[in-house]
Amino acid sequence: MKRLVLTLLIGTLFLILQTTWLSSFPIRRIRPDILLILILYLAFLFPPIFGGILAFFMGYLMDLFSGNVLGCYTLSRPLVFFAAQFFKERFYVEGSSSQFLFAFVFALLEGILILILMNTLQPISLGNLYPLLFTFLLPQSFFTGLATPFLFFLFQKGSSLLFLQPEKGMKERA
Amino acid sequence: MRIRGFFLFQRYSLPIFIILLLLFALVLMSLRAKQRKGVEFFDALLMEISSPLQKTATLVIKTVQGTFQQYVFLINLEKENRVLKQKVAELQEENHRMKEMQLSNERLRQLLQFRENHSPSMIGAEVIGQDPSSWFKSMTIDKGERDGVKKGMAVISPAGVIGQVLKTAPHYAIVLLITDYNSAIDSIIQRTRSKAIVEGKGENRCQLRYLLRTEEVAVGDIVVTSGLGGNFPKGLRVGEIQKVDKKGHGIFQYAELMPSVDMAELEEVFVIMEPLPPTQPQGEKGKKGKKTKK
Repeated sequence: MKRLVLTLLIGTLFLILQTTWLSSFPIRRIRPDILLILILYLAFLFPPIFGGILAFFMGYLMDLFSGNVLGCYTLSRPLVFFAAQFFKERFYVEGSSSQFLFAFVFALLEGILILILMNTLQPISLGNLYPLLFTFLLPQSFFTGLATPFLFFLFQKGSSLLFLQPEKGMKERA
Repeated sequence: MRIRGFFLFQRYSLPIFIILLLLFALVLMSLRAKQRKGVEFFDALLMEISSPLQKTATLVIKTVQGTFQQYVFLINLEKENRVLKQKVAELQEENHRMKEMQLSNERLRQLLQFRENHSPSMIGAEVIGQDPSSWFKSMTIDKGERDGVKKGMAVISPAGVIGQVLKTAPHYAIVLLITDYNSAIDSIIQRTRSKAIVEGKGENRCQLRYLLRTEEVAVGDIVVTSGLGGNFPKGLRVGEIQKVDKKGHGIFQYAELMPSVDMAELEEVFVIMEPLPPTQPQGEKGKKGKKTKK
């Protein structure tokens, strides 16, 4: 329970950083999605049920502070979490390059999902948003991927300090 | 049978949980789309809890950024000059603070003047956060339902239109910016009086939709609110036309608009509490004056 609450607090802190500090960057396109990186890391740390609830709540918080009318992140974040859990043992994600690739692919897939949701579920027609894949989504996913090795390293250090047994989540799952 | 059912549930508990969680997310999306009260209440409650943290973080970040700019570049100077440099840094810090205060004073004076010129039925609010996602364009302000802010109210600055209130909590509100894909404002082109809808295009850009091909629109034309939507008073500056394209087919032409407000630099805004009387921008006044002379 303590782990759950603490992770939730860290998630809230990350969300606040994303809405304040990262938003003050001059070029918005290079703003990495640090909350997505945290959710990807949670896939390695937490069992599916706890992690799924955390991802759901973080997506909900994200929707709350966003101009997103439908609440796409409440759906996409748990999906990303479960997908990352499914693929984590099929990929080697110890090295920086593989961590970059892992986050890059997930950021890209989540972006495509949101784009599809926006294009299909909005009550008003938004026009053709698909060119955004190249002008916006690719650079954004690239920088999210670039920030991942550094943040994963910090999370590893932090989780070993906070929880003493960072691998406990996997044991719980087993 | 019951025991068998229990074992089956245990075996499939994880897939069942995943399906239930995703279904719940879909139900939430549907409730949000229908704007149900229960979801709005829960949203407001969570916003009320997290927004003070956001406000504090903004304050800390602003202070740290200011200090960083003043101090960090002075760290690696020679030892002999350390005392002197520290003095300079202190003076610079003081100077920086004074400059910041002066700029803040100027900004607030401008806002006050703008408010006095227009209507007292506006309240000033501070921007405490931006949209966490890069797909959507919104910002959090430190005024909410307790201050009289309601959903749909117009948010403006002396430079022009910013957006409208999307969600409210007792002390905080989320403002949907005019650059968001979901935003649409009824407007007119100041010079030609042609009607169009200003829609968000992301990345500090908007586009004019339903602008008739027969209308003579040029780059540099100013677009103002028409006052027809009900939320925005007539004559508020929305932006300037940057690009006009008549090449396509159909009865409408395409025009791109640069908002008159830089959304990334916003620090203070005004929320219009009740519809303002129509404003007469300077250009429009001049034009009307000429007409009467004729």
